[in-house]
Amino acid sequence: MGWVITMQIRLAGFGGQGVILAGVILGDAAAIEGLNVIQTQDYGSQSRGGHSIADLIISKDPIYDLIVTKADVLLALAQLGYESTKESLREGGLLIVDTELVQPDKEFTGAPFTRIAEEEVGLALTVNMVALGYLVAKTNVVKKESVEEAIRRRVPKGTEEINLKAFRIGYEEGTK
Amino acid sequence: MIIRGDEPEQIRLLKKLYPKGNYFMQGDEAIAYGALFAGCRFYAGYPITPASEIAETMARELPKLKGYYIQMEDEIGSIAAVIGASWTGFKSMTATSGPGFSLMQENLGYAIFTETPLVLVDVQRSGPSTGQATKGAQGDFFQARWGPHGDHPIIAISSTSVEDSFWETIRAFSLSEKFRIPVLVLADGIIGHTREQIKIPDPTEVEIVYRKLPTSDEEAKYPFGDVHGDLIPPMPLFGHGYFTHVTGSTHKENGLRDVYTPEVHDRLVRRLHKKIELHKTEIQKWEEYYIEDAEILLVSWGVSARPSLGAVMKGRKKGIKVGLFVPKTVHPFPGERIKELSKNVQLIIVPEMNLGQVILEVQRFVRDEVPVIGVNKIGGVPLTVEEILKEIESSAERSRHRSAD
Repeated sequence: MGWVITMQIRLAGFGGQGVILAGVILGDAAAIEGLNVIQTQDYGSQSRGGHSIADLIISKDPIYDLIVTKADVLLALAQLGYESTKESLREGGLLIVDTELVQPDKEFTGAPFTRIAEEEVGLALTVNMVALGYLVAKTNVVKKESVEEAIRRRVPKGTEEINLKAFRIGYEEGTK
Repeated sequence: MIIRGDEPEQIRLLKKLYPKGNYFMQGDEAIAYGALFAGCRFYAGYPITPASEIAETMARELPKLKGYYIQMEDEIGSIAAVIGASWTGFKSMTATSGPGFSLMQENLGYAIFTETPLVLVDVQRSGPSTGQATKGAQGDFFQARWGPHGDHPIIAISSTSVEDSFWETIRAFSLSEKFRIPVLVLADGIIGHTREQIKIPDPTEVEIVYRKLPTSDEEAKYPFGDVHGDLIPPMPLFGHGYFTHVTGSTHKENGLRDVYTPEVHDRLVRRLHKKIELHKTEIQKWEEYYIEDAEILLVSWGVSARPSLGAVMKGRKKGIKVGLFVPKTVHPFPGERIKELSKNVQLIIVPEMNLGQVILEVQRFVRDEVPVIGVNKIGGVPLTVEEILKEIESSAERSRHRSAD
């Protein structure tokens, strides 16, 4: 998938899946490349279990909107997140889902991100990085290296390697 | 020890901790870094969504700059601590959101009446009451103007992006220090939680303003007197050997209470107002876009100014003569300039995230001479370029029909 000037990306899941951190890392990667980027989020008041959405607008031009108006890419990690955001995906947009947790009612791509995180990375918590790797491979919105740099900056100290591993496994999956 | 923020040691620390360059951060964080660059070295607060990241950043960074952070028992105590710290010479700040801002009004009135410099950030969220804790809004425009009881002046600033939040917070400190008055920063939960790129400058590129101090013991005797003819009294700080009385009751120029003499109250309250009126051109700030030949004028502020500008640019591409006015100082409101601009336009549109607040100020200045319509959105989701553009287009369409009639 290529992109011309602007790409609107929405990541949706439930609180605790690391959706917002994935959004921050993707935004940071775009900033590292000198692209214009806006990253916002929407979440419930509870710290776990509520809906959680991270929005990104990445553009070569100045950005005047603060939220995703029509998503070019929607990544859904939970049925709850999918149901509340599916209308925002534009006609012909790219839907990426965790294939074991989301049953979409439209055309999609994806992989069992949570199971991959558990079985191949060895830590279910890294599902956000697995899914991010997949998304970056599918969209080419930013370079792999920029995301890796952003991961090193943004994840808790001491967890850089496992997060990078998760990202790379997800990226591999996305190139298949 | 007083820290202004431009001492060689402070400059060295700022350079080392936050090297000049590009950062990717939230509006809340930009406000905190703006405060640090402005020389704020005291913060007292009580966490509240969507303002907590300001407290978190200050708690983490202030000790590195020899400053102090206190988490207080509530918002009433927070602003009280800030007032006390300011009288010892610290540039001081607190930040909160709607419910906490309501609690701070009593002491805000005290700070206004005692001419205490401080910066109070209200990261606006949907209200009234607890409302939507995690959602942004622009509903506190009039609370900022008239929250505390009684006749009083106030300065309030509103920023339009993450980078703007950094610089406008610095400006808030400058105005507060210069004019000895609390300055409100009307931020909002959307920009507060939006991340984007921001250029952090070298600390030497930031102008540091510090309050006027008495130059003699004689001057220090009049902490509320117009000793220099500019209506701004020098501030005798606590801990420097002065005998200073600070009270929220009506006071004479020497600070002592006199709550009976009408002239004393009249003189004091009028001076507070005149102080801001006299220096208004220095306090007010606004931005204008494409106004030269504009037939439709948008007036928009804070978070709504950005999609407004996007809509104006799209409208221009479609051949509609539309311009934008953005007040950055929202109190005192730059109504005279809007009145001037209104003479050449056919319609004014006011997009904002409330049911109509700034629009009332606009109407007050332009009277019935020009129709003024609002684009109002509540519920926590920001206005979009398309929503505002739709209003511009249908207005342009209507006026075309009118002129054809």
